[in-house]
Amino acid sequence: MSEKGEHEGNRRPATTRRRALMLGATGAVAVVSIRPALAQTAASVAHCEIPVPDAGRAGSYVAADGSLVAPGTTGAFPGPGHPLKGEDVKNALAGGQLPGTTADQSRAYTNYIRKLQSGTSGFTCFASLQMPRG
Amino acid sequence: MAEPLFRMARAEALRIVHLDSFVAVFHRSSGLTHLLAAPAPEIMATLGEAGLTRVALAEKLVADFDLEDLDDAALAERLDELVACGLVAAA
Amino acid sequence: MRHVFSVRIGPVGFRVGSTWRTPIEQLEALYANYPRPEVPDFSVRLFPARPWRQFIRPSVTIGGDFMLPDALPLPLAQGLLAAEMGMNLQMALGQRRYLLLHASVVERDGKALLMSGISGAGKSTLSALLSARGWRFMGDEFALIDPETGLLHAFPRLVSLKNAAIDVVTNALPDARFGPLLAGTPKGDIRHLVPDASAVAAMDTPVPPALLLFPSYGFEADERLVPLSEVFVRLTQASTNYVALGERGFDALARLVKTVPARAIDYPDTDSAVKQIEKLWAAL
Repeated sequence: MSEKGEHEGNRRPATTRRRALMLGATGAVAVVSIRPALAQTAASVAHCEIPVPDAGRAGSYVAADGSLVAPGTTGAFPGPGHPLKGEDVKNALAGGQLPGTTADQSRAYTNYIRKLQSGTSGFTCFASLQMPRG
Repeated sequence: MAEPLFRMARAEALRIVHLDSFVAVFHRSSGLTHLLAAPAPEIMATLGEAGLTRVALAEKLVADFDLEDLDDAALAERLDELVACGLVAAA
Repeated sequence: MRHVFSVRIGPVGFRVGSTWRTPIEQLEALYANYPRPEVPDFSVRLFPARPWRQFIRPSVTIGGDFMLPDALPLPLAQGLLAAEMGMNLQMALGQRRYLLLHASVVERDGKALLMSGISGAGKSTLSALLSARGWRFMGDEFALIDPETGLLHAFPRLVSLKNAAIDVVTNALPDARFGPLLAGTPKGDIRHLVPDASAVAAMDTPVPPALLLFPSYGFEADERLVPLSEVFVRLTQASTNYVALGERGFDALARLVKTVPARAIDYPDTDSAVKQIEKLWAAL
């Protein structure tokens, strides 16, 4: 699994750098489970959700709940994989609000990942969308 | 009444791949895939197969990591999440 | 009256049985260049839900090895579409040998470009346009990944073009063969493009993936890198058999995600998209 912080024996000098870890606030989510499709059951077909297309997401920011918002929105973070552009920083500074702490940012990103799952994985939505249903 | 022991699933049941800030875990017993973000992988690794009570887990996390926000309720929630997806068992 | 058509597309053989002759004639004409399977992997059946439906406002119920319980039948005029949907359904529900991703695939220099996205994102249109620009067409519906090797296997069915894309592609590929215009389907107007002879001739040559794109149509040109975890989750959403494949699926997907760069591109029109794509490919 992931590496633990380095430490020697029982005695820890004050300058030892253990890896930072945050538990996150209550209400946060740290596990995203891939939901299996129950092939061919009426219930799973009925619950198929049509995926919402990503609207111009390349420039979007990610809000705390994982939804995509306009770039520069207060309290939101640059979208995943999108480096902060110069004017984004300027806008953020002018608005007086800088992107938040690492924990907030990672919680926002985890929520973003969770929201990518619309309905169950793969088949059910695909087949239902391809074929007209009664 | 003894405090429950939280144990990680057996190592042979897990197939683990590090992505970026997420760790992808295939759980052979259930056939399900989970993506874990911090602190979930760290909690699992700290529990190990031998397992720890919640109190002992908290102590070990504080010892092993620079834990900025130890909060009982938050830790309980993280454990519940792992138990709910089957990667950790509470006994 | 039973009419039968068999065809092998990439590594998969289909047998289509139909109560009516017309859809079979259309399939025979459009798939004329394709080999026949030794033993079909999947069966598709086109049949009337009630006996009188064969003649009175004839409507085609899509059946086969795998069926969806409450699928609506299509009018006989769209029988060709019903056959194609039937083949999709068999793959979506029954394919276990290859990991399936809902994506189009084209090949250049022995490497594959995958384009994944929802209906309307432009996967089919872009793959058709690229096939006229020196890329080998490998499929527009399903990307087939061999879990043992990580290679993409071509699955070049008829390319399904919808609505505005029909004119874009018929203009760009004036010498290509197209199926009939099917108006008023549940997805609007549809016309099928027949993959060119070189695509069919090369369809048994698998290639490694080199670039994964998530295109999004109708926005100002833009591009971002897609982080690994996001690619992983998007592809589980795009896979029809990821869960069914169990650990093989997990390993195949993890390997793809970790070895192939991924970009999301927004594009206002297909010319812009093609430019962006060729620039990204050249930069690999």
